Amino acid sequence: MKISLLVSQVLNGLATGMLYALMGIGLSIITGVLNIPNFAHGALFALGAYSLYTVIQLVGNFWLALVLAPVGVGLLGVLIEYGGIRPLYKAGHDYQLLLTFGLSLIVTEGIIIIWSPVGMSQLPPPLLRGGVDLGITFYPKYRLFVMVAAGLLVLGAWLFLEKTRYGAIMRAGIEDKEMVSLLGIDIHRLFTAAFALGCAMAGIAGALTAPIRGLNPWMGVDMLGIAFVVVALAGLGNLLGSIAAGLLVGVAQSLVALFWPEASVAVIFAVMAAILLVRPQGLFGIR
Amino acid sequence: MKPWVAILAAVVLLPVFVRHAIATEIWIFAIFGLGLNLLMGYTGLLSFGQATFFGSAAYVAGYLLKYYGINLFLALGIGVVVGAASAALVGYLCVQRSGLYFIMLTFALNQMFFFTAYQWTTVTGGEDGMPGIPRPSVLGLDIHGPLAYYATVAALFLLSLWVMQRIVESPLGKILKAIRENELRAEALGFDVPRMKLVAFVVGGAFSGLAGVLYAMLFGIVPLEAIGFVFSGNVVFATLIGGSGSLYGPVIGSFVFIWLSESVSAMWARWPLLLGVAFVIVVLFFRGGVVEAWARFWTWRAARRAPDRVRIDAPR
Amino acid sequence: MRELTRRDVLKLGGGAAAAAGLGVPAVLRAQAKEVPMLGLWSFTGAFSDVGPVLDRGMKLALDERGMKIQGKTIKYITRDDETKAGSATRRAEEAVDADGVKYIVGPWSSGVALAVSEVAKRKKVFHYFSGGTEDISGARCHRYSFQWAASPYTAAKTVVDTFMQANPKAKRWHLLVADYAFGWSVEKYVKEVGKTHGIEFVGADRHPLGEREFSNYVTKAAGNKPDVVVMINFGLDAVTGAREIFNFGLTPKIPLIMTWSSGVEELVQLAPEIRENIWVGSNFYYTADTPVAREFVKSYQAKFGGPPGYAPAAAYGMTRMLLHAMDKAKSTEVPDVIRACEGLEVDDLVGRMRVDPKTHQTLRPYFFMRCKKKEAMKHPMDFADIIATGSTPLPAEYAACKDIGAL
Repeated sequence: MKISLLVSQVLNGLATGMLYALMGIGLSIITGVLNIPNFAHGALFALGAYSLYTVIQLVGNFWLALVLAPVGVGLLGVLIEYGGIRPLYKAGHDYQLLLTFGLSLIVTEGIIIIWSPVGMSQLPPPLLRGGVDLGITFYPKYRLFVMVAAGLLVLGAWLFLEKTRYGAIMRAGIEDKEMVSLLGIDIHRLFTAAFALGCAMAGIAGALTAPIRGLNPWMGVDMLGIAFVVVALAGLGNLLGSIAAGLLVGVAQSLVALFWPEASVAVIFAVMAAILLVRPQGLFGIR
Repeated sequence: MKPWVAILAAVVLLPVFVRHAIATEIWIFAIFGLGLNLLMGYTGLLSFGQATFFGSAAYVAGYLLKYYGINLFLALGIGVVVGAASAALVGYLCVQRSGLYFIMLTFALNQMFFFTAYQWTTVTGGEDGMPGIPRPSVLGLDIHGPLAYYATVAALFLLSLWVMQRIVESPLGKILKAIRENELRAEALGFDVPRMKLVAFVVGGAFSGLAGVLYAMLFGIVPLEAIGFVFSGNVVFATLIGGSGSLYGPVIGSFVFIWLSESVSAMWARWPLLLGVAFVIVVLFFRGGVVEAWARFWTWRAARRAPDRVRIDAPR
Repeated sequence: MRELTRRDVLKLGGGAAAAAGLGVPAVLRAQAKEVPMLGLWSFTGAFSDVGPVLDRGMKLALDERGMKIQGKTIKYITRDDETKAGSATRRAEEAVDADGVKYIVGPWSSGVALAVSEVAKRKKVFHYFSGGTEDISGARCHRYSFQWAASPYTAAKTVVDTFMQANPKAKRWHLLVADYAFGWSVEKYVKEVGKTHGIEFVGADRHPLGEREFSNYVTKAAGNKPDVVVMINFGLDAVTGAREIFNFGLTPKIPLIMTWSSGVEELVQLAPEIRENIWVGSNFYYTADTPVAREFVKSYQAKFGGPPGYAPAAAYGMTRMLLHAMDKAKSTEVPDVIRACEGLEVDDLVGRMRVDPKTHQTLRPYFFMRCKKKEAMKHPMDFADIIATGSTPLPAEYAACKDIGAL
């Protein structure tokens, strides 16, 4: 096995792994704080990518788009939480599932209506085009950027949750909602903020992915399943675990693709099933 | 007695108004819904991966039908067995968990089966599905004609409905309902709750498997979508819209769902948008499904007609 | 809950009758004055970009005849197959049952086509398809389906022979193939023909249709240190793949062959820098020098602005062949048209075209182009020049269609 090939694959795995971690943390926050299954997570990922594309078409600035896309998706999250999820807090998982599933259909079809079903391409900004000679291997600049950017975002999310007061409230909300509201904190605002944050993270993951994978209306479908795998492996509500699980899944997928490319996606789920058999609480879960 | 009369009437009259292939699909989907509802309505387990059992049965039976020319009864039997076996596997992994975790696991395992079917192209045909599935004759009778196949499927549906009715009225059914009402209490009463849940899974899977084989023979193809999560979501929606609280809910839901999706999809390629909107509206406003909406409508009408004579017996 | 009253049943019955719009089987309205034809195209899904242009191509061919054939009006309907076999099967059946369709052109995806071919056989309707799977005129052949695209063997021979003539030293080839029906067929023959040139296939990877993440495949390709990278894929897959191959620095240093391309539709999505040193094989290119092609390109360009790629050309070409067959048969009945189509020989869109009666494969030229450098382009759509055409048919020993069967 050529060393350069192995290094390239590991780098690929780290880049996708960082994106998986972003998706995982976002979903983990939502499932942890609100305790609802968010089947719209993949569609929001796609929406983030399309928002990036549109902002670039309108304004021509990639960096601005990278900021506006997740903000837009986050704001949509606020609307969804307020209008759709809040009425269903007590309704039970069936209905919450159907709501988010229905929303994913609406968002995906909406993307097709607004942007067309044809897949589109998005070039990276001129600064990040082409590749870099790393000595061992030649690697595209944009992917290195994604690794770094997603890594910083993941770090930022972790710092927010671990080191700030608002983050502590969120973590408390995952642990014990009643206690949090008894302490006088507006539980509704917490839920809205958590949901919006989770959506924004899906949005930025999508935006970062656009120049790598291009855009198509169903680009979020695979991501949804993988996000669930990351969360399940990490243990529900375990945010730090989501980071490790995301990277693990990304690198594992890349390495499997070396030997058995056809099975690279199914293997992820099979590994998850195997791990959960042995450790039902996930790799890092405590509950 | 009354519901059975209505259903028999529907079975007889449907092919007069509706294209035979669509009518057949309605009953197939109803069988699928019955399987799901044993889990969802009666045991309180929201399985979001029923397509796993439906699709697996369709692929296995379809494969044997196509390459080994097995007869109809064997195909149906294999469908039931594969549905039950895959449900046992998935159920075993999932019944230990509950709530959100359970839903996510059923979904993720569904994805695993989906991607296996997607990438194992030599066997399943991958994205193109498995075409060329024959329809063997039943007891010497050729069922290639749309109406003949409809009759076969309708008969199997009626049989399935009867069996499901027996199950829910049996001691097993009562235990499952008890689990739905209060799991801890059921456990305290000495029932092996995980094992009962697994049984529900297996039975539900068996019904789904039967539906899967019939679907494969309907269009002569097992499409990849048959094992995908959209299919899983559709049956959940159809059952909820019919009303998961009753035995007949999935039947009504199947009617509504298939009728809607077939008529709209021919007119507008973007019909899943309307489907999504329908989901959202139903969960926000019509949570009891058709059954509750119907009852609420009549209450409203009665209140309008005789405003001073308030109805004391609330619907439901 | 209230019980059903007689009024309720009547109301329900009325509603059900209204739902009869679900398709009470079409009462043979087709027979007398109309010839219903179905264009089964993708408006959603992986090939959704070609649906609209395929529609254009078929309409152009039908409009040339004033929507009439053999004194009857042609009724042209389209259905979205969603690039899915399940949907295609249902839409095709529905069109045959409810709209009386007797002639199906399409779909675009070769995998989906196999499913539609089954429907054609079962429902005994005429089916014309253009795509890379050799099974339609091979292992799965039957009297009702015809193949318009060149045989993958013809394509492979044209591409490999011509390329080796221009680059005799490029002996190390790496293949990147779409894991799909047409991918397998073309790959098989590229390897066969390659053997005769002493080519060493240093690597061959298959990627799923609709793949967007090519980094893994590209790094593997680079690792094998090939002289040439050969892609056997299509549409957006080909575009994304070509772009990644450029991003990772393989082209333009080493050449990239797009073996079974749609030509214009793909090339227009690549920046000129990326196109440098790309060699393209296609079933149609708009600079083809035949009277029919020149006319077609002129009308298409006048009506739609840009030159047509393989997709609209195929739809146009298939419809023309179908109409020629109806002319020859002097009938619009399916069995007559099938018999007329078998052995049909015309000078049409790509040159001399002949339908092999034993396999229903159209024997015709395949095009090979070389992309131009930015400086050499005379106008924005001047992507490439045709450097060769080849029409070597599939040798009899490879033919998998042993018995095409009866009507």
